[in-house]
Amino acid sequence: MNRSVRLLLIGCICALAAGTVLAADVTLKDPTGDDFGPGGYSYPTDAVYKRGSFDLTSLQVKSNDKKVDFMASVNSNLEDPWSMGNGFAVQMIFIYIDTTPDAGFDKGLPGQNVMFAADSAWDKVVILSPQQPGRVKQEVESKAAAMKDACLIPNKTRGSGRTISGSVDLAALGAKSADDIKGWGYQVVMQSNEGFPTEGDLLTRKVNEYEGQHRFGGGNDGECDPHVIDVFAGAAKGDKSEIDEQKKMLAFECNDDGTSKSMATLTMVKAN
Amino acid sequence: MKRTIIIAIAFLLCAGTLLAQGEQKFGMSGVTYTKWLWGNQRFDGSLYNFTTVPGEGYGDNGQGTEIELLFFGKPNKYIEVKGRIHSRFSQNEWTNFGGFGVNEGCGNGSTGGDCGESDPRSNQYVKLRGVTVNVTPGYRFLDNAQFGSTDLGMFDAFTIGKIRYIDRDNAGAILFQGRLTDSLKYDVIRISTPRLWAGPNYSTGEYTAQDSVYGLQMKWSGNEFVDGSLIYERARDIEVDKNDSLPDDGTDVDGRFSNDVWGFRVGVHPMPMLDIRGAYYTSEAESDSNYDAPGGFGINGYSPVIAGKPEGDSYTLDVDLTDIMSSGLTANFQFFNIDEQYTSIMAARRESDVLITEGFDATFAFPGPSNASYGVFGGNETRIGYGGWQGTYQQVATLNVDNEFTDFDEPAAETAIGWKGFTVTPKWTHGALEVAGEYTTIDYNQNWQIWGDDSNQMNGGVLYPATELDAGIGHNFRSAFAPFMDRSTDILVLKGRYTFEVGKGLEVYGKLKWIDETDKRMNNAKYLPFKAGDCPGGGVACTNDKNFYSGNNSTGDYYGNPPVITVNGITGYQWKPFDNLADDDRDLSETMIQLGAGYQFTDILYASLTYENYDIDLKDGNTAFQAYNLHEMVSGQHNKDRYIVLVKFPIGGVEAGLNYEYVTGDFTPEFGDGFVVQYADAGTATSAGVKEGSRGFKNRYGGWNSLETRDFEQSRLKAFFKVRF
Repeated sequence: MNRSVRLLLIGCICALAAGTVLAADVTLKDPTGDDFGPGGYSYPTDAVYKRGSFDLTSLQVKSNDKKVDFMASVNSNLEDPWSMGNGFAVQMIFIYIDTTPDAGFDKGLPGQNVMFAADSAWDKVVILSPQQPGRVKQEVESKAAAMKDACLIPNKTRGSGRTISGSVDLAALGAKSADDIKGWGYQVVMQSNEGFPTEGDLLTRKVNEYEGQHRFGGGNDGECDPHVIDVFAGAAKGDKSEIDEQKKMLAFECNDDGTSKSMATLTMVKAN
Repeated sequence: MKRTIIIAIAFLLCAGTLLAQGEQKFGMSGVTYTKWLWGNQRFDGSLYNFTTVPGEGYGDNGQGTEIELLFFGKPNKYIEVKGRIHSRFSQNEWTNFGGFGVNEGCGNGSTGGDCGESDPRSNQYVKLRGVTVNVTPGYRFLDNAQFGSTDLGMFDAFTIGKIRYIDRDNAGAILFQGRLTDSLKYDVIRISTPRLWAGPNYSTGEYTAQDSVYGLQMKWSGNEFVDGSLIYERARDIEVDKNDSLPDDGTDVDGRFSNDVWGFRVGVHPMPMLDIRGAYYTSEAESDSNYDAPGGFGINGYSPVIAGKPEGDSYTLDVDLTDIMSSGLTANFQFFNIDEQYTSIMAARRESDVLITEGFDATFAFPGPSNASYGVFGGNETRIGYGGWQGTYQQVATLNVDNEFTDFDEPAAETAIGWKGFTVTPKWTHGALEVAGEYTTIDYNQNWQIWGDDSNQMNGGVLYPATELDAGIGHNFRSAFAPFMDRSTDILVLKGRYTFEVGKGLEVYGKLKWIDETDKRMNNAKYLPFKAGDCPGGGVACTNDKNFYSGNNSTGDYYGNPPVITVNGITGYQWKPFDNLADDDRDLSETMIQLGAGYQFTDILYASLTYENYDIDLKDGNTAFQAYNLHEMVSGQHNKDRYIVLVKFPIGGVEAGLNYEYVTGDFTPEFGDGFVVQYADAGTATSAGVKEGSRGFKNRYGGWNSLETRDFEQSRLKAFFKVRF
């Protein structure tokens, strides 16, 4: 027993020590009550999808000279009904980062059905998933091979309270110093962890016209709708006016056969 | 029912008229699951570690593969069809050589494939496991009509809970879902009652085809600050009316079992830091013994519902404080009160966790130190091994707990019927450090004497199914009742986790847990079995002058006096006479320590090593009590060490893993005095699995309780890989 207590104390000291060398941080906020994608999306009907589970409220990015910590928060206490072992289960968060102007991908990862505006192309994406890192990496390699070098999966992703967090190496993000994170553009795609994704989806849950037990509703049965429940918009200060900005950004048009006429196009947000 | 069918057909016809000429979509996918079990208990009755179902096998050895094929069709935008066919491990071990095995004689108790090709459990049969048709007609008030298989996950664990019985969608139902307004949604369901377990005596009687459970759920999303829902469950088990002897006008039906449950849930969200949720349920049920529903039980009856007309109210109140003052500190408070008579026949049996407490440790499954049900009697071997299940139990609000066909690494559930108390679970996160704790105090609604009414007998006509009763190291997972209870439990947990920035991140974790439980059980001298001085000692036989607590009722009918015996020249009582209220007292002090580390060795290879120690000082009655004459006595010192190696290796479309456990420990009995020690003869040694000549005593029913220190050492392994295709 004494050994365990000592171990915990050592851990506390190490963590506090780590806290003292934090060099930079970025905070972005999102209003509550906008977890409806472009405006009419609804949650799946199974009881595990609790109110607010996909309602993004903030992203904190902190860096030191080695690591960058990402902490995304939602408007609901995290639960682990599927025994994933990380403190959360239903959420799946993609943090797109624009580290280099005029470069990067303009298409989102498979299954999200989103584009990025020309001035918001992303260079890196950090994936916070309750799945094992190995499973996520395998999915990336098989479904997004061209983007695999841009996909960063933390070795450990954890959920606690209302916050899901994970860390990646500063160097892996192409940063030269910890302060670089302040100048980057960010966008977060809030999705749901799907352990049995369809062929084209990267561990994401589908959005259909009508919600099902494990499918979001309010979209389209085809692939023309953004499979995105919440994103940052506007100035990312958490102001209610950003809800309309989100609706505009995620607006989409479909052809009768479910193909896309006009795709939702995301823009990056920056901390001011 | 006729109406339901008409509505269902109408919807199908309507949907049929809406058929679009679009391209039909059809798809198929599948999963194979290969499992390798190894263990030194050397059981090979089935490819699952645990079951109590009569006639089913269990084991810790064998290799097998199952396959699941999932079909998906969408003929048009309004209709979706899903189907699933699946083989099951059961007794389909590779050694059966493709399902042939050896026919060594079939019977209900065939295990390990010894019925060969004649038994579907060992001939590799593939079965239709689920078919669902979804109709989304596009009506304003109806989003979805679903016909067929469902896991009932859209309802509520206290009423109609997510159900699993090997498969996850066994239940057949008709479900309508939609919205009356933008903020008011509904779910209406008619479930065909599972005849396998959803009624008194785990049965729905003889006439089963029209037994049903109806459910209504109204969910109000309210506004940002408040939401709520209402649930109603109505279960009816009907039988052909015994008194209707004139079939010319059809045959009437009569009720065997009915169950009505109302539930209300409300959530208040005043600020991001504060979340409040309350749930209240009220239930009533009625069993009719004229139709083979039990009117009462013996001291250890088995049934998922209380006999007679139970009525009970239950509630939970959760207050969550998140990231208090931006400190990283979160605290969850839960007040709970689950009535001892609360009854919902369709409540979640294992798939949910209705309380936030860790509860008891799942390493203790049955009353004895070896996890052997009724292990005091010969031939009753352990079913889940000395290690039990890994982790802690999930709590469910039913007696109908289902841990059947599980392996040692899977979640297990325990009943929380009768629990009332309070839990607080603080958690502090700072960078890579996470520290969490729990304090829970549990009182019990069934703290009573002689089943709550002096007119009761101890063993017979009991309304409460007590299953394995409450003797044992842990809380036997489906035992809620005992004839005498005066029990309270305190649970304290402190745990931490830290990830060191070494290589890919070395994660270390640890836990300290204490469980303190007392149960005075019989606490009034008027219930003592015999009158004071009935057994004078000194080799003098007891006079058997019973003590009657009411009418002709005496606990002396169950706690009989000992005979006088002479062993190696020592004369005295075979067991201590039950003449003191302390003879059945329980006092549990458990300390659990867990330490472990995990590391991501490569992009895909993760491994962890965990050590656990359970140190238990337990007084659980003496030789007068004898664990209700039925189970291994456990009073004494228990020490259990467990080492767990976990490996996860997902590669390509394969999810591979391994869980190896080495568990060792000992039990030193302390059964008190007042009896003559006996020595095992050859027959006892063989039937009880002890050394000939070892010390012990025989209980009232002839079961042998060893007085020797017992050493345990068991290993087991589960390796698996799943391929999705």
